[in-house]
Amino acid sequence: CLQISAKAVSQQITLSEKNASLKKVLKEVSRQAGISIVYDETLLARTRPVTVMVKNASVKEVLDQCLRDQPVFYSIDGQRIIIQKQLAPQIMRDTAITVSGRVTDEKGEPVPGATIRVQGTNSGTAADADGRYTIKVPQNSTLIITFLGYAPQTVTAAGGTLNVKLALSQTALTETVVVGYGVQKKSVVTGAISSVRAADIENMPITRPEQTLQGRTSGVTIASSSGQPGSPANVRIRGLTSFTNNDPLWVVDGVVVDNGGIGYLNQYDIESMEVLKDAASQAIYGARAAAGVILVTTKKGKAGGLTVNYNGYYGLSAPAKKLKLLNASEYAMLRNEQSVNAGKAAPFADPNSFGQGTDWQDQIFNSSAPRQNHEISVSGGTDRSTFYGSIGYLKQDGIVATDISKYERVNIRLNSTHKLSKYVTVGQNLGYAYDKSIGLGNTNNEFGGPLSSAINLDPITPAIVTDPAVAAGAPYNNVGAVKDANGRPYGISGQVGQEITNPLAYIQTRLGNYSWSHNIVGNVYLEIQPVKGLRIRSSVGSKVSFWGGETFTPVSWLNSSTIRSVNSFQRTNNQRFDYNLENTISYNKSFGLHDLTLLVGQGAYLDNHVRGTDVTYSNLPVNNFKDAALTFKVPTDQVKAIGTENWDHKVSSLFARLNYTYDEKYLFTGVIRRDGSSRFGDNNRYGYFPSFSMGWVTSKENFWPQNRVVDFLKIRGGYGVVGNDNIGDGAYLPMIVSGRNYAFGTGGSYKVGYSPSAPANPDLRWEQTSQTNIGFEATLFHDLFVNFDWYRKLTTGILQPLRIPDYIGYSNNPPSNVADMENTGLELELGYRKQIGEVNLGLNGNVSYVKNKVTDLGDGKQYITQDQATFQSTSYPITRTVLGQPYNSFYGFQTAGIFQNQAEIDAYTNKEGKKIQPNAAPGDFRWADINGDGQINENDRTIIGNPIPKWTFGFTVNAAYKGFDLVVFTQGAAGYKIFQGLRRLDITTANWQEKALGRWHGEGTSTDFPRLNIDDPNRNFTNPSDFFLENGSYWRLKTVQLGYTLPLNVTKRVGMQKVRVYVMSENLLTITGYTGYDPEIGNTNATGVFSIDRGIYPQARSYMLGLNVTF
Amino acid sequence: CSKSWLEPLPKGQIPEEKYYKTAAEAEAALTAVYDVVGWQGNGYVTKVGTVDAASDDHLAGGGGPNDVTDYQVISNYTLTPATGPQAELWKKGFAGIFRANTLLAKIEGISMDAGVKARYIAEAKALRAYFYFDLVRFFRNVPLMTAPVVAIDDMFNVAQAKPEEVYAQIEKDLKDALAETNLPDKVALATEAGRLSKGAVHALLGRVYVWEQKWPAAITELAEVNGATVGGSKYGYKLVDNFGDLFKSDMAHKFNSESVFEISYNSSSNGGWDCVNCTEGNVLNIMTGPRGYKILKPEQAPDYVSGWSFLVITKSLFDAIHGDPRYKYTVANLDSLEKNGIVTYEKGFNNTGYFMEKFAGRVANRSTGGTPELNYPQNIYEIRLADTYLLEAEALVRNGESGLAGTRSFTLFNAVRARVGLPAIPVTLDNILSERRLELAGEGHRWLDLVRFGKAATFLQSKGFIAGKHEVLPIPLLELENTKLEQNPEWK
Repeated sequence: CLQISAKAVSQQITLSEKNASLKKVLKEVSRQAGISIVYDETLLARTRPVTVMVKNASVKEVLDQCLRDQPVFYSIDGQRIIIQKQLAPQIMRDTAITVSGRVTDEKGEPVPGATIRVQGTNSGTAADADGRYTIKVPQNSTLIITFLGYAPQTVTAAGGTLNVKLALSQTALTETVVVGYGVQKKSVVTGAISSVRAADIENMPITRPEQTLQGRTSGVTIASSSGQPGSPANVRIRGLTSFTNNDPLWVVDGVVVDNGGIGYLNQYDIESMEVLKDAASQAIYGARAAAGVILVTTKKGKAGGLTVNYNGYYGLSAPAKKLKLLNASEYAMLRNEQSVNAGKAAPFADPNSFGQGTDWQDQIFNSSAPRQNHEISVSGGTDRSTFYGSIGYLKQDGIVATDISKYERVNIRLNSTHKLSKYVTVGQNLGYAYDKSIGLGNTNNEFGGPLSSAINLDPITPAIVTDPAVAAGAPYNNVGAVKDANGRPYGISGQVGQEITNPLAYIQTRLGNYSWSHNIVGNVYLEIQPVKGLRIRSSVGSKVSFWGGETFTPVSWLNSSTIRSVNSFQRTNNQRFDYNLENTISYNKSFGLHDLTLLVGQGAYLDNHVRGTDVTYSNLPVNNFKDAALTFKVPTDQVKAIGTENWDHKVSSLFARLNYTYDEKYLFTGVIRRDGSSRFGDNNRYGYFPSFSMGWVTSKENFWPQNRVVDFLKIRGGYGVVGNDNIGDGAYLPMIVSGRNYAFGTGGSYKVGYSPSAPANPDLRWEQTSQTNIGFEATLFHDLFVNFDWYRKLTTGILQPLRIPDYIGYSNNPPSNVADMENTGLELELGYRKQIGEVNLGLNGNVSYVKNKVTDLGDGKQYITQDQATFQSTSYPITRTVLGQPYNSFYGFQTAGIFQNQAEIDAYTNKEGKKIQPNAAPGDFRWADINGDGQINENDRTIIGNPIPKWTFGFTVNAAYKGFDLVVFTQGAAGYKIFQGLRRLDITTANWQEKALGRWHGEGTSTDFPRLNIDDPNRNFTNPSDFFLENGSYWRLKTVQLGYTLPLNVTKRVGMQKVRVYVMSENLLTITGYTGYDPEIGNTNATGVFSIDRGIYPQARSYMLGLNVTF
Repeated sequence: CSKSWLEPLPKGQIPEEKYYKTAAEAEAALTAVYDVVGWQGNGYVTKVGTVDAASDDHLAGGGGPNDVTDYQVISNYTLTPATGPQAELWKKGFAGIFRANTLLAKIEGISMDAGVKARYIAEAKALRAYFYFDLVRFFRNVPLMTAPVVAIDDMFNVAQAKPEEVYAQIEKDLKDALAETNLPDKVALATEAGRLSKGAVHALLGRVYVWEQKWPAAITELAEVNGATVGGSKYGYKLVDNFGDLFKSDMAHKFNSESVFEISYNSSSNGGWDCVNCTEGNVLNIMTGPRGYKILKPEQAPDYVSGWSFLVITKSLFDAIHGDPRYKYTVANLDSLEKNGIVTYEKGFNNTGYFMEKFAGRVANRSTGGTPELNYPQNIYEIRLADTYLLEAEALVRNGESGLAGTRSFTLFNAVRARVGLPAIPVTLDNILSERRLELAGEGHRWLDLVRFGKAATFLQSKGFIAGKHEVLPIPLLELENTKLEQNPEWK
């Protein structure tokens, strides 16, 4: 190191410049000397032009000459020369004490040139080449030690020796990111990685970790599947990668955690999250990385004193929106019209007599549902051992039917590291969570549940029957009719039946039911560094989960379709065990400007080891949850028991990675991974997943023109292949399954039959996703950070059960490699940080675009019908996967206006002059004759919309002024349609939204809402069509937070380091044209199609008060 | 890791290469074929329900105009290739054929008692014929497979056979079964009730011949079942004395002397909502029960359970059967019960006031285990003796017999009437059609009879039936996709 600098500094420089900018001269010196010169752009702006004529001079000579009388000076820092601000002439006042010491970095290396300044004055000094300094200061004054690239540190001067350790600051130059099996300086990363840091999320109202990514990372689409507290959100990284599973791989401190199980994490414990988006960065996780990888690093303790932290908030939630539904009079009026239009008698003599009726939404919405989140963490340690421990508690009540919609979680974490010797480190990370979820059931499901019922129930039915005479008659005299605390029955609709029941009564039948889980995720590792640069690491990680639930179903009579004549009590218990074992060796070596890191590793992974039991007792002698127990001895024929045994999924892997950089200017990364999966047969068990990526820090080149615009520019690109084995276990094998039973004989029993389940596919192979990524990172105008990526991702051999015709007779379809799909996209992240006077301003924004296209379906197939989404009683499925179109796009008929009169129907003819819709009546939809065959049938269906947002974006403003800080976080999505299925089509008497008042009811009354007719002969409502589609684009003011940090002197007086209070609001404002509750709709069913609104549990609007305290 | 570490450990499934080795496994494979006989689709669609809904005796009913859409659209003839009960019937039939073919392909390699093996083969063939017979009647143009298709590539290259080829295979399979000496004339009821016997196979073959209009052959086969003298069947078949006893679901009345081929259900499987098609109970009972049934006068009211009011009986059938002794065993007249203040009930969709007495679920046979709705134990007759009597009588008349007193057709026909105390009348085709309607109401015959008699358009026009189209079901739309199958010309 010293040699290099000596050589560099003594390099012979020849220069001839007249009135040249200092920057230009410095660059030339840097080039000739072959060393880097670090400077602050703004600093150089204030320098004078220089004239210099030297021949074979030393660097020192040249610099001395150039910087003479300039407001800057230089210092030599190992391999670099640093240009710094010249300190104002020091007015050394008569000060009381002398302080001296040494400024070092975290590794104990000196930081020459570090500035030591007395707070509030201009007096100060700089550290020498060995990091030593001496300064005279007033007693108890505060010293601020700063140096470029390091976080400033404040210490109190008390005389004597004061050594200061500076930590690297998180700037673009020094920031590190977690990559697979290691950490890399961000400036030399060649893959496409987005990060979220603790500071971005710590105080945010987040209940699940995936929510932190929404709007904060580019290329990531997040859509909540329900507003039920604790519900997971769907995460899609760079579009849809596959047909069956698009959930990214979550790796928490090196332990692979299944997507559903990530909820055990407490946001306060998260140090950082990294989203690996391109194949080059994913490839190290080969087998399961195709849908993206999310690395979560939890907080670790730091050597030094003990730090105790409290974070928490308390608040109230309310629904952000109510649907505009018809009142009782309007409802009765439309019911009459609907019947009369069909030639039937009007059911209601006087619609106006019903008045407003029941507002069912009001009956189940809670506009002051409490939510709270608290965490206390303790961290600290010595040079040899550090630890971080925390305990967290979260409780949130739902805004819909709160009695049966709650979520509660307790987290405990302990992370520690111990240096056993100079060479050996052991460590562990352990997280535990218990959660209890009371879910209202059937969310985003048209088949009942309180929300769907509230939307569909007629407003005529009273919520509670108050007239004793009515209450004594049918149907309220049925056994099981539900009554309130005063013994009054809940209203039972005579208009709307089937699964749609009085939500208040429904709530009563589910009281007490809950589900629970215990999750324990952790790992233990041993790391040996026998010689410098060599690191051997062994890690054993595991996830152990236990979960289950208890459900009591009382005898009940909710309506004539929803009767429980026998009560039952069900208890489920499940356990799951996953583990992984990984051994890696890495070696890092620098020689000259070359830097080489080689990593080789081996991994073995087991997951999906699930065992469960599910026991139901019928006909218990009690009729409520509280009294129910499985200790009641019911006859054995009233006991039902079901078991679960999953097949183990195993993966065995070998991997290697080479990182090479030259002068941090030319960058190369190559990865190869081989995975063997228990999900494939001998023919294709092993998959090879290579990748490479390169980077070029153009701004480091000597030819880089000096300018004030671009301070840093890195161009990078890569290509790689990753895999997916997500097709179910043993699917390539022909298996015989049980359950083909038949009752023989008169003994009242049955025999168990066995038959093949699905055809074998021994050629089943890995699904592969290859991805090309090209991007750049730049720093502009010193304060503006830009990150841009373009990618093209091609998935081939997509795994999906191949639909074989039913005439073959198997009961299941064989797993297959059925299709290819492409995603192309653009991502832009921008960051701006500036101190303007006393205001600290940070702006961050990102926008992503993704285009999804199915490129092959095999054998000339134009479409497949697998996994189509359906909606109750539509005449056809509502989505289809068509070649050249996005996966599972909305598929149906196109409306072309409404026939205003018979003449229009008569004029709508085909080539032969025959009417295309001979049976239509005025007020019916004109269906577009897509195939031009002169008639309307299933062949006239076409692609009518895309359910996945093409655009996602987020924008965050951070501002701080004195003790105040403000965060405004907004996010949104655009470029997609929502299928609004809020009204049950098969229940023609269901209530309508107010927009139905604008239905066609005479010539010229509507051009987009057809006439109401109970028989609907034109299938205006049962044909899936663009009538049901709405633009889903939205922009949401997700979080607004205003905080105030108490002044340090106040805080100190009460023995604390930091006290901050804040107020916060979530989902304050959503701008959207969508008429349902919420345009953000993930998928809750197996088909995986987003944006189908079957009555999604809306997201809450919350107001919270929070507190951070550090002791 | 070693290679074996990556071998999957099957749980709850058995690799095919390790199966079909023992007699017990052969029996399990046979059970899997019979499983399809009792098939109830996830959407509650059954063969009996479909045929009933399509007929002039029933309307779909239910809770609303789209409740169990498949029944609604067959009942009002708005079915399309995409929507209707045909998908389930198609799937059922071919599932049965595949399982029979699998058994036939695998059993040769199993070392087991030769006699038992031969009997299993005979049963599998007869069941294959049974499934094909329904398929060819409903769909006319179906693929014909006598071995399982196992290679995925081959699956999309199967073409439809001509109906006569299918019938030829059906006849061959049934004749093969009859030629097998190990197929018993009668089965041991205690352990084997529900399995096919020689008598049942003769009845099936007779029915097939009737559909093929091979009258002499039909007469021979059906006479084999019915006996040379009425009441003298060599298989011991006899009409049950009390018509009402036929529809009792207790063990004493199941598999009675009139039962030739019976679809077996019971309440022992604890079936639940999680898998409606897994239950061994009969879903028809809860489906056909009166909706919102509530008893006001317990001493006078029947013990129906509150059901879902599907397959309500039409005014037309009510009028036809009202004066008949079988009326009270056929029609549950809720309209009258309510008017007399004995019960109340909820008027569901298509309400006529008349429900299916034969199948309405009863408190008496409601199970206590599992989900009671899905565990009713009542059986359904696929073939009962009254049916074969009427079929033989019909074949005789169509073959030229006068049907007057003294003829065999007269004796057979009037034996059915005499059992319920009705006077003898001459046998004519019209009389047969109406006798079948009253005798077999709700048991899944009427629509097939109308089609066979060429009278469907006459009786079903008011429901929307189109002659020349609705006699055959459309090939389910999905089956045409990427295959060699062609839609039936009626549905193009």
